[in-house]
Amino acid sequence: MLDTIPSKDLKHIGKAVERDDAIEKLTGQALYTGDLEFTGMLHAKLLRSPYARAKIKSIDISKAQKLPGVHAVLTGKDLHYRVGLYLVDKHIMAKHITRHFGEAVAAVAAETPEIAQKAVELIKVEYEELTPFLDATKVFDKDVPLVHPDLGRYSYIKEVFTPVPGTNIANHTKLRKGDVEEGFRKSDYIFEREYTNPNVQHVPMETHIAIGKWDIGDRITIYTSAQSPFTVRNLFSFSFGISHSNIRVITPYVGGGFGGKAGIGLEPLVCCLSKAAGGRHVKLQATREEEFSLLPCRSGLTYRIKTGVKKNGKIIAQKMTMFWDAGAYADYAVNVTRASGFSASGPYEIENAWVDAYSVYTNKPFGTAYRGFGHVEFSWGVERQMNYIADQLSIDPFEFRKINAIKPGSKTMTGEVITDHSGNVTKCMETVAKAINYGKLTAGEKAREQKTGMKIGKSVVALHKAPAMPSMTGTVVVLKLNEDASVTVNHALTEIGMGTYTSLRQIIAEVLKWPVERIRIPIENDTDRDPYDWQTVASKGLLLSGNAAILAAQDLLDKCYDIAAQALRAMKCDLDHDAEKVFIRHKQESFITFKQMSVGYAYPNGNAICGPVIAVGRYIAQGLTNLDKENSQGYPAIDWTYGAHGVITEVNPKTGAFNVIKVASAYDVGRVINEESVRGQAIGGMIQGLGTAMCEGYIYNKDGKLLNPSFTDNKIPTALDMPEEIECFAVETPQVDGPFGARGVGEHSMIAVCGGVGNAIEKAVGVDLTHMPIRAEDVWKALQKKSEGQGKKLKAKKK
Amino acid sequence: MLQNFGYLAPKSLAELYAVLKKNSGKAMILAGGTDVLVNLHNGCMAPTTLVDIKKIAELGGIKYDKKNGLSIGAVVTCVEVAENKDVIKHYPLIAKAVGEIGSPQLRNRATIAGNICTGSPCADSSCALIALGASLELSSADGVRTVFLKDFFIGPKRTQIKPEEVLTRILVPADMAGANFGMNKLKRIKGHDIALVSVAVAKTDKVMRVGIGSAAPTPIVTKDLAPNASLKDTLAAVAAVAKPIDDVRASKEYREFMINDYVEQIYSDLFNGKGR
Amino acid sequence: MKIKLTVNGKKYERDASESKNLLHFIREDLGLTGTKEGCGAGECGACTVIMNGKTVNSCLVLAVEADGATIQTVEGEAKNGKLSKLQTAFKANHAVQCGFCTAGMLMSSRALLNKNPKPTVDEIKHAIEGNFCRCTGYTQIIEAVQDASGQLKKKGGLKRA
Ligand SMILES: Cc1cc2nc3c(=O)[nH]c(=O)nc-3n(C[C@@H](O)[C@@H](O)[C@H](O)COP(=O)(O)OP(=O)(O)OC[C@H]3O[C@@H](n4cnc5c(N)ncnc54)[C@H](O)[C@@H]3O)c2cc1C
Ligand code: FES
Ligand code: FES
Repeated sequence: MLDTIPSKDLKHIGKAVERDDAIEKLTGQALYTGDLEFTGMLHAKLLRSPYARAKIKSIDISKAQKLPGVHAVLTGKDLHYRVGLYLVDKHIMAKHITRHFGEAVAAVAAETPEIAQKAVELIKVEYEELTPFLDATKVFDKDVPLVHPDLGRYSYIKEVFTPVPGTNIANHTKLRKGDVEEGFRKSDYIFEREYTNPNVQHVPMETHIAIGKWDIGDRITIYTSAQSPFTVRNLFSFSFGISHSNIRVITPYVGGGFGGKAGIGLEPLVCCLSKAAGGRHVKLQATREEEFSLLPCRSGLTYRIKTGVKKNGKIIAQKMTMFWDAGAYADYAVNVTRASGFSASGPYEIENAWVDAYSVYTNKPFGTAYRGFGHVEFSWGVERQMNYIADQLSIDPFEFRKINAIKPGSKTMTGEVITDHSGNVTKCMETVAKAINYGKLTAGEKAREQKTGMKIGKSVVALHKAPAMPSMTGTVVVLKLNEDASVTVNHALTEIGMGTYTSLRQIIAEVLKWPVERIRIPIENDTDRDPYDWQTVASKGLLLSGNAAILAAQDLLDKCYDIAAQALRAMKCDLDHDAEKVFIRHKQESFITFKQMSVGYAYPNGNAICGPVIAVGRYIAQGLTNLDKENSQGYPAIDWTYGAHGVITEVNPKTGAFNVIKVASAYDVGRVINEESVRGQAIGGMIQGLGTAMCEGYIYNKDGKLLNPSFTDNKIPTALDMPEEIECFAVETPQVDGPFGARGVGEHSMIAVCGGVGNAIEKAVGVDLTHMPIRAEDVWKALQKKSEGQGKKLKAKKK
Repeated sequence: MLQNFGYLAPKSLAELYAVLKKNSGKAMILAGGTDVLVNLHNGCMAPTTLVDIKKIAELGGIKYDKKNGLSIGAVVTCVEVAENKDVIKHYPLIAKAVGEIGSPQLRNRATIAGNICTGSPCADSSCALIALGASLELSSADGVRTVFLKDFFIGPKRTQIKPEEVLTRILVPADMAGANFGMNKLKRIKGHDIALVSVAVAKTDKVMRVGIGSAAPTPIVTKDLAPNASLKDTLAAVAAVAKPIDDVRASKEYREFMINDYVEQIYSDLFNGKGR
Repeated sequence: MKIKLTVNGKKYERDASESKNLLHFIREDLGLTGTKEGCGAGECGACTVIMNGKTVNSCLVLAVEADGATIQTVEGEAKNGKLSKLQTAFKANHAVQCGFCTAGMLMSSRALLNKNPKPTVDEIKHAIEGNFCRCTGYTQIIEAVQDASGQLKKKGGLKRA
């Protein structure tokens, strides 16, 4: 829904309108799920597996059941339901076998958390430890333990996914574009390398929490900290065979999600406990430790890239093999494999491409969606590979990127042709390059090197991402006109902190020509009250919901014009409006106000017409296709958001310690709707990306036990870890079907930060890094290698 | 907390001794609680009673005089130590070390005595105090004894303190007042983190010592070195005691390297007049 | 154990369980749920309150230890139904996203400003070091504190390329 109005003529769009939910959050009045209390509510605690893979030989719950104050004790054996998003492979709790460290084995609901905990400690489990399968890259080895021997019997979405029964492959995505072997034959050089990423935790500040109530008569009410009440409802309905109309899901304020709260989590378990306890409310709040190992994380990735390139720097062939460490259950990981499969090259055009992406079941906590949806992880490999090749060819890495960047006329890996309206990655790169004085050290930087003995390096990296979503993703915005001509909006895209509701208010106000203050979108969502939305994921919210908001606002005006036309005895085409009233354009003293028509218009004599005004805007992604399962060709992307980071780091050439001096980022957002929301997403994601780059990631022992399931040994960046300087730019190449030309930018800021840091470090001290995160110790180790001569420039393999 | 325990807050040392005697082995002293409450949260300890010592006036205060040196009471918090004029003037190494502990919220609660009593090899104050040759006053109904900090630690998170004893004061010798110093702490992030290794050097015109954290089962210190000891000798003395291991935080090799690097850095600062 | 304490200027007398921490006491016994739990282990700062003028992690304080204490929580920041200057600055500078760290951030910032009315950026960073925020990347929070102390030269900062 492109509007070519110049930004300066827009009243609300592009401004830093303040967030409507700020006051509640700043005063402590905003109620999150954990703040809710219900009479008679019970509290749940869990017993979890100490083993990565073990047979549950017996569980004795008799002592726990007898403890006064305990209302329900459940084990996996009692629950005959399976849950799953795309591949239905998970029991509500471990049944007969545990598949990862930290998996729930038994649950108690009791009158207080203390009693529940005591009861948990009274449960005795006899395990027989089994050999776990822990290394996703060993998926083709013979005789490895199978995480899901029953894979062949699970139901799954056949149009999209390809599990391989008899193996640990939960999904195999194949992409074939052009002729990769021919491409390699024509290449002057071929480079083949491997890059790795660990599992990473989302770390929303609010851990997962749900309150469930399963009434006698099978009506269900769930309060949950989730990214979508409708997805929870749908998956719940599917697993339990209960009608959607009997399930009510409410999401109060949500304390961050980052993908970890997409899909379904604790909700089935609290509801089963409630049912077992006779229909009382049951609350379960994950501890921070449970957040790390019971709830999902981000999949690890081992990425092998083989690139064929011409002397002039043009990449002409690339074979990409991805081993996604999906953990014990497929959850979103299979879709991460699919979505990252089709964009695995980064924002670079590859004429002949071949991808084999495997989601591999392992006996580890399972992976799910995480801001960037696979792109953060593969981008690490891609951006390191780009620098490596450029270095080998003695081309500047920024120039090398520009040679290969996607531009209008380029074909994506799935065969989609990029147009003038798709966004401009080269402009993003040029913007950040300028912002960091790429390619040279300034006098100030040289003096700084002199003074500190540190070495300064700079890099430019690029990124892209399209929403990964079903081809038929839709949403609805409903506007209800109130008596005072304010509008209450019903909409179920969950506001998990990203600020989309403020942007939607701006969009609605812009179309209506009303002040933003008259538009209110309640933060809480309720499936009984709000119309359907898929969920807050994929950076698709602003585009889809924004378009629905425009349509709803237009519908509201249309309906008001209908009333006015009737009341004023005028033709609709002669009407116009301002913030207060609809009037006849050529006879402006003839008008009726929005207030007058809000709940039905009454003539002076009392006769009434029309009824209360309610308006609806429905929007759905169009033109998307399922990808061909043999070659992944098709149309998966509603839009592509491009971006780039310019990174300056300084590195201690002896110890490997490094500081990030500056990060400049640019995103082609199409059109800025809310300046400060864009900036908030840009900086927040970039810092989260720095966490991934510098310090985050799961560490297991050889038995698959997670060694750092808390903040003690899994650090996230603090205010002291920010770069000294941060600069954010918006490029605005309008998206033809975006609201006012806008496209999403929620995830993009996190992508490619790691590559940017790694490349800047490489530039500074000449070390080659292939594993993320990059800790000072890793740089030190690479420095040691270099001084031993191992990191030297390899001569490019000439074929 | 998920477990139950009682709480007592004696108002005098005499009362404290009696409480400790009565609940011997089952009571646990509660100072700032920043270690105790974390352990309770993790369920890795189960005392029947917590004995809060913060109401005992005798355990407060920081005293300094030229003859006896510095004495820090057991309930003095890290922030109070870091802001104390005498500490800043005469023992700035201590101010620096407690400033390294955790976050502001934590330092507002945590005591330096508690930090030592955890027996943790990564306790930042221990690293500095051990280099300063500090000793501890341990008291109980049976009397008072003084032990050198370097002898206080007997194993991982294990100290000499007996169940009925309390650390009453931390004593830093007068002859270390005004010592030259340097301290470095290796962390994974710039925000609050536990030391992967830490090195503190204190040097007067009579002696030089290097305290090292996270390099052995307990905080450790080199033998007394001559104030003009060569770098080589200093590094040798460090190597003689530092025995770091591999864990999730860092490898043995990196720890060894960084300990040496820190010692070299501080040494060079001290001997090139950049230190204090 | 019977305890008396003053929270946000109001006096309370309650029977507190010995094994309850101040965080849960404030939330459950006093019904002040603005203070949040992010880890229960002193790491994240979501539970920060001001106790006797100093910030503490309320998850690491027993309720009974707060006997006689004066405490400020996020609920005490607005006065007479009006946002404080600090809250207004957080709002104006988009320093709130999901809001889960916000109560703790406000308390650390409040304690800083009480002691140091014109903190530098570096001092602000040190003061909120113990407060994790996973959403904002801290920049807009720091700007808000600068704004509240009359030091923010220019609001916002998104540039158009
Ligand atoms: C998030 C976090 C970060 C941290 N970061 C650091 C860090 O960077 N560096 C660091 O060194 N430490 C760090 N710590 C640990 C640090 O907070 C503690 O070691 C603290 O100093 C302990 O002091 P306390 O007064 O809180 O002790 P408490 O928790 O009250 O007690 C600790 C132990 O000492 C015993 N004890 C206390 N006082 C006495 C006494 N007078 N006599 C006998 N026994 C006593 C207690 O019984 C208990 O066993 C961190 C802790 C947390 C939670
Ligand atoms: S909840 Fe207290 S510091 Fe995290
Ligand atoms: S606003 Fe979400 S954690 Fe700070």
